[in-house]
Amino acid sequence: MHSGEVAKEGLGMDTELARYLPHISRMSAQLKETSTQIESSVVGVCDSFQGIAERAKSTVSRATGFLNINGDGASSKVSFEGLIQNCAGILVKILNTTEEAGEVSRRAIDRIHQMDEHSKMILKSLVNLEKIAQENKMLALNARIEAAHAGIHGAGFSVVAVEVASQTQRSLVVTAQVSGLIDNLRNLAGSAVEDLQQMNQQGSVRAEKSRREVDESLRDMQDAHGEMKQMLSSMTKDGALLANDIGAAVRGLQFQDRTSQQIAHIVEDLDTLHARLISRCGAVAASDTASEEGFSAYTMREERQIAGIHTAESAAGDIELF
Amino acid sequence: MRRVLIVDDSVSMRQMVGYTLRQGGYEVIEAEHGADALNKLTGGTVDLIITDLNMPVMDGITLIQNVRKQPAMKSKPILMLTTEGLVAKKEQGKAAGATGWIIKPFDPEKLLQTVAKVLP
Repeated sequence: MHSGEVAKEGLGMDTELARYLPHISRMSAQLKETSTQIESSVVGVCDSFQGIAERAKSTVSRATGFLNINGDGASSKVSFEGLIQNCAGILVKILNTTEEAGEVSRRAIDRIHQMDEHSKMILKSLVNLEKIAQENKMLALNARIEAAHAGIHGAGFSVVAVEVASQTQRSLVVTAQVSGLIDNLRNLAGSAVEDLQQMNQQGSVRAEKSRREVDESLRDMQDAHGEMKQMLSSMTKDGALLANDIGAAVRGLQFQDRTSQQIAHIVEDLDTLHARLISRCGAVAASDTASEEGFSAYTMREERQIAGIHTAESAAGDIELF
Repeated sequence: MRRVLIVDDSVSMRQMVGYTLRQGGYEVIEAEHGADALNKLTGGTVDLIITDLNMPVMDGITLIQNVRKQPAMKSKPILMLTTEGLVAKKEQGKAAGATGWIIKPFDPEKLLQTVAKVLP
């Protein structure tokens, strides 16, 4: 081959190479863009992991504080366990007060019974008084008969006998009134005893029912507390596992740093190659002869922008219904 | 709280190292290259520096050489955290004043153990 032919062939090759020069700079730009996108994604994933870890930590911490499982007593708030104990204490006090009220009413019934016994004794005494009055009455009558037999000499005696009869009659009336009042008192006391007994009976039934309900509620609360403790313990374990998983993910995600460095090295090589080829083929390189091969494979807007192809298109994430 | 300065041009690496150290109870300051780190050090000293090797503007070795000139930072630990594993480079780092050399990717637990070991 003549030197002229060699030169012609070399020029042809340079021209052909020049057509593909833009591919090299495009590859370099695409790689840089890819590296940036990977880093941006990894940063986003890291952010998410950090958010997950912080929320898990915060949830466990709040639940622990609420249940006071590891309570150091520094918090002024009462723990859930403390609330159950307080509640149980208050309910026991209420039940004790109810029982005390029952005891007081039982003692009141006993006293009313004692008063009734005393009333009966008073009634007995009144019956004796009535009997004495009746005897006085008979005595006064006999005195008057004897006074009549004595004639004028018994006149004064007759006046005394009439007066004794009159006084006796009055004492009989008073005795009857007192007796009536005592009967009324006994009736009232009987009613009070009945009311108190009924109240006492109902009170003890209610107190017993309340005690059972309170016991059940407290058991339920304690069961719930136990379950919450278990749940929290499980959450704490999950939290530790999550921390391990995130640790592993952090290690895994560092591939991006290595990949970015490798891409940076390839880009550097491509840029060097591009510069060398430009210096060799620069004389024949022209944009109107640039190859457009490979453009059809570009599907993403970023790729087309890097290649200098500007077309109307939708952005990532856009939705269009036809 | 102990303060650690992380120097890396990769945002994600700064984020991952930062997250690991914060979880370990350290206060973290970030710089994206050696010069940025030196600027941040003018505001006050730190207890530890963890730096990458290859960075724009100022690399890790130059950063260490400059940091060691500061009296307050003469004896503070400096760890290199890099993908570079060449023995010659390690020797260069050691000569500059690095306390240790960790090859990426790092294990968060091991990083914390190493940090605890170098911090007096």
